[in-house]
Amino acid sequence: MKLLDRYEEVVGHHEIQRLYRLAERLSGKRVVHVNSTRNGGGVAEILHWMVPLMQELGIDASWEVIEGTADFYRVTKSFHNGLQGFPVALKKRDYDLHYEINRENAKRLNLQADVVFVHDPQPIYLPEFTPQDQVGRWIWRCHIDASHPDRGVWKYMEKALPRYEATVFSMAAFTRPVACPMFLIAPSIDPLSDKNCPLAETERLETLSRLGIDPDRPMLLQVSRFDRFKDPLGVIEVYRLLKPYHAGLQLVLAGGPAEDDPEGAEVLREVLDWAGEDQDLKVLLLPPDAHRDINALQRSAIVVLQKSIREGFGLTVTEALWKGKPVIGGACGGITLQVHDYHTGFLVHSPAGAAYRIRYLMRYNDKRLRMGQNGYEFVREHFLLTRHLRDYFTMLLGLDRPEPDSLVV
Amino acid sequence: MGIIGAITAPDTASRLSLDCKLASAATSGVMAFNVKKPGTQVPGGGQGENMAVEPFKLVDCSLARRAIGRNCSNLRELLDAVRTVPDAVLEHHMLRCPLEDHFEMYEFPNDLARWCWEALGDPVLAEELGLVDPYKESSIAGVRSTLIDTIEDRLWGLERIPWCRSGFELHLVASRLVAYDTGERIPTPAALAETVERMSLRSLFFHVHEARRRTGGKTDDFSFWLEQFDTCAELVTRLRELDFYFLNLSQLRQEIIDLFHQHSFVPSVT
Repeated sequence: MKLLDRYEEVVGHHEIQRLYRLAERLSGKRVVHVNSTRNGGGVAEILHWMVPLMQELGIDASWEVIEGTADFYRVTKSFHNGLQGFPVALKKRDYDLHYEINRENAKRLNLQADVVFVHDPQPIYLPEFTPQDQVGRWIWRCHIDASHPDRGVWKYMEKALPRYEATVFSMAAFTRPVACPMFLIAPSIDPLSDKNCPLAETERLETLSRLGIDPDRPMLLQVSRFDRFKDPLGVIEVYRLLKPYHAGLQLVLAGGPAEDDPEGAEVLREVLDWAGEDQDLKVLLLPPDAHRDINALQRSAIVVLQKSIREGFGLTVTEALWKGKPVIGGACGGITLQVHDYHTGFLVHSPAGAAYRIRYLMRYNDKRLRMGQNGYEFVREHFLLTRHLRDYFTMLLGLDRPEPDSLVV
Repeated sequence: MGIIGAITAPDTASRLSLDCKLASAATSGVMAFNVKKPGTQVPGGGQGENMAVEPFKLVDCSLARRAIGRNCSNLRELLDAVRTVPDAVLEHHMLRCPLEDHFEMYEFPNDLARWCWEALGDPVLAEELGLVDPYKESSIAGVRSTLIDTIEDRLWGLERIPWCRSGFELHLVASRLVAYDTGERIPTPAALAETVERMSLRSLFFHVHEARRRTGGKTDDFSFWLEQFDTCAELVTRLRELDFYFLNLSQLRQEIIDLFHQHSFVPSVT
């Protein structure tokens, strides 16, 4: 059985056939993706499914990973933070280190291709050190909100961009004017992954029991790392505002342990202090591979929160919608593309606003269920990996044929 | 490859096969149609032929969206943008919204009206922009001119320029529509009725919205093709009367299905 055939049950036979038809036009093209890690992080997660699916669709796709020293990754972590707008203090030798490691990787990697997608800032200088006749097109895929970057970091990144024919961002609000076209391709979820696949009821209940959650009482959930921008204390406030109206209400804050993140550890301490001895308020530290546990929690929640103050695209929102749950989301980042008032949930601006909307949803079961159904359909149409592939193919076809405005291939 | 309307006709082998299907359908007694001799170019099909209608060619499409690195945070910036942005931007925000619309109850049918309502809090202008029907204009230049006139008129009467809060800016996007042949050929009106029920919403957009745009608002691809069948005259009229401006694509699909089902040629399902 082909990989894509497995998705027919989710998106339908015709949708898969359409993908084949579109990909036919790119058949045999050599496409290389380059990023900085084979495991861990959202980009690697995407490439793990994207590369084999592209291959199955007739594209000669491969995946290369750059190598660097611990110091290099320290610098690129700062780039990541800097692009997101946090002030960073980098010295000239840090930039030089990044530049040199890109040079070394360009010699080592197999980049002979029609198109090379360079993901995020780590490998951004590869074009500088690759012979011009080796690569047909360089495309920079920026997965980060780069709209308000640290000036020093952006100045350095910007110098790499003239060698690129196009850039790709997740949404228009994440872009920053550059000289080449800025395509917009939203990320997606894999509906068959452990985090999103259907779960047997026995597994769901077993998970709740193991995590100490009562399956018979309503549960609110926020899944996110312990970070001030995710406003976990605000979520606890929401729960406390609701508790007088729903005595049986439970709250679960699920995130990863924060041993390697000093600020995360501090936020976690604050959350635990704030949670106190409340038996209905669970703070869960789950390992990075606890995908099925997250899946079970999302399927068990009555409403899912993502009360962020600042957010990337917010794929945890996509995951919750996919499970038919209305989402109460902070009005920021990609949450605004996914949460539509009265359709898939509510955008909120304060703990009081979130509590108010949840109270409404708990009062009107029919509306809550209908919004959940809307959310599922919405994700099926717009945020599954089949759409993601289609957008990539559409962009590549468009780049092959620059004019006219509408084109038939 | 070519522009819409110049899609190549199927090769002889596939045409023969389709002719056989038509003959088979006709003799089975399930469906039989009086066929005109159109001899005209068919957007959803190919070159019309004597006595046999080219099957409808089902096209799908996808948008390549591009940020142009510009956004608006107040009404004056919107006016400036409407005056100066490339056609592809206005086309995206005025004509391609149905591909981005997901739910039934959107207040307004285009991005500019919606932004004035939601972000600027200017219901008067939102209502006026909502009334700007881009399908009634023969070109994007016409749409642009109407938009400028509408926004200028509103600005003229305002003492303060409406502005939006941070995070609610209108990010201007251009898009390019890439259409591709799905390989599906639909031989009869009844088969078309069935296909409408399962075709992608993108196909529906291409054959209705894009077709209206291509033909200066005159026709969609379905009715253009159906026109070749004598029995479909009323259906053709009804399809062309369909005011799709306020419908999202799912609603439009249902309305088209309803129109098809009101016509007796659709065989009953047993």
